[in-house]
Amino acid sequence: MSEVEFEVEGKKYVVRTDLRYTETEEWAKKEEDNRVREGITDYAQKELRDIVGIELPEVGTEVKKGDSIGSIESVKAVSDLYAAVSGRIVEVNERLLEEPELLNKDPYGDGWIVIIEMSDPNEYEQLLTPEAYIEKHKESK
Amino acid sequence: MFAKSTKGVNRIPLWEFHVRELGADMGEFAGWEVPMMYTGALQEHMIVRTDAGVFDVSHMGRIRVSGPDAEPFLQRIFTKNIAKTKEYHLSGPTLVLNAYARVKDDEMPYKVSDEEWLVVVNALYRDKMLKYYENVIKTHNFDVRVEDLTSKYAMIAIQGPRSAEILEKICGDWIHDLRALQFRIGESVSEHDAFLISRSGWTGEDGFEIWAEPKNMVDIYRALLKAGVKPVGIICRDMLRIEMGYVLGEHEYGEDPLRFPPANSLRYGLGAIDWNKRGFVGEEALRAYRREGVRWVRVGIKMRRKHARAVIRQGYKLYVEDQVIGWMTSGTYSPYLKTAIGQAYVDVRYAIFGDIVEVEIRGKRYEGKIVEFPLVRGRPVVR
Repeated sequence: MSEVEFEVEGKKYVVRTDLRYTETEEWAKKEEDNRVREGITDYAQKELRDIVGIELPEVGTEVKKGDSIGSIESVKAVSDLYAAVSGRIVEVNERLLEEPELLNKDPYGDGWIVIIEMSDPNEYEQLLTPEAYIEKHKESK
Repeated sequence: MFAKSTKGVNRIPLWEFHVRELGADMGEFAGWEVPMMYTGALQEHMIVRTDAGVFDVSHMGRIRVSGPDAEPFLQRIFTKNIAKTKEYHLSGPTLVLNAYARVKDDEMPYKVSDEEWLVVVNALYRDKMLKYYENVIKTHNFDVRVEDLTSKYAMIAIQGPRSAEILEKICGDWIHDLRALQFRIGESVSEHDAFLISRSGWTGEDGFEIWAEPKNMVDIYRALLKAGVKPVGIICRDMLRIEMGYVLGEHEYGEDPLRFPPANSLRYGLGAIDWNKRGFVGEEALRAYRREGVRWVRVGIKMRRKHARAVIRQGYKLYVEDQVIGWMTSGTYSPYLKTAIGQAYVDVRYAIFGDIVEVEIRGKRYEGKIVEFPLVRGRPVVR
């Protein structure tokens, strides 16, 4: 894996080149058996600032791409977390309930949030590539 | 998910310094672009409670009121009786009411002399209050001059238990002689001229506030940082004031009688309302509410340990069984208490300290306790 950075208004954000992205600042990583690991981007955690709580979905829940599957509480606001792909929640990162600061410290690693077993593997291919994700931020400037 | 438009917003005088030298994470508050945080709001919160931090509060409105009628004019608009305030002292905070006994603003008057006062007003209400001052002065023919000093001086607040010890290093011994709510004019900090230094703040900790011309303030800032004060931002300032039970406009108070209870319900404290004082704006309505009693009172809410991460926010409803008994006005996570906390208006019939009530967060109920302010105990009382 490797990392690149982009800059918006003087602030720098990390993008991992081995991941895909949503328009709503989640990242997704395809793993074996059509499973997708999901979390929030470095940009999201920096915009939210200190994260102090998270509400996770229940394992077994069927979700559609774009559904709200949880919420993230920061010192500033509460934000929804959206499913990057459709499928079934097969794992959640319960460590975050006690240590939500992992979302700030390591958004692409220990701060992962859920694993979804995809019902439609094509959806993964439709997510933003790292290049398209960076491009989106440059355009919105 | 994110609101990030910072265009058309005022920049504080030390904007460049915060961004370039301190790497501040800037954001908008009350029409100003101010430092939200530097290293992290939770960490900065603990710095203020255990060490010493410096806030840039240059967004706060500062107004000079001078002339033969300065005091009669201020007595007319303030709920507090400022006749007892000594020269070179802050009177303590006061409310400014409208005719419905709703709060226009909470302000801090500084007495230089009978004929010269400085007033710190909320950033959000500065334009409104400047107009209001002028209106009252015109209506009553007060011989008073009003001058907006907000952009003339930068203002910072050094807050935390180590504030005095650190300031002594760069100001000298006299800093210890400055008592709570006392101020001096024309002193210097680390040999840089300051306009005003007071022993005051808004965090519940010991601390000092300094007003200085922007060019001097950069040097004062550098001296403070070198002496060990850490930069802290406005996010933790909000969290600190919630812990102390201090109020904020459009959260705990506002002018609209449909959205906010009267000033009596606020339980503002700090001697802001003096029932022996006569002749201030809003007095009749305020006394009527006093006689009839109020329906809502402001209380603290502390979430139970098992719901420590259930952050309660403005507008969330409070329940006892199936009864809606109130609403949250502010909320945050307190790293000091390690649980979610907030302020709320609660129906007086249910406002029993120690009782457990439920807060509805996105359709689910979580338990919290009704508690008295301040939510953090044992804050120092500076002599």
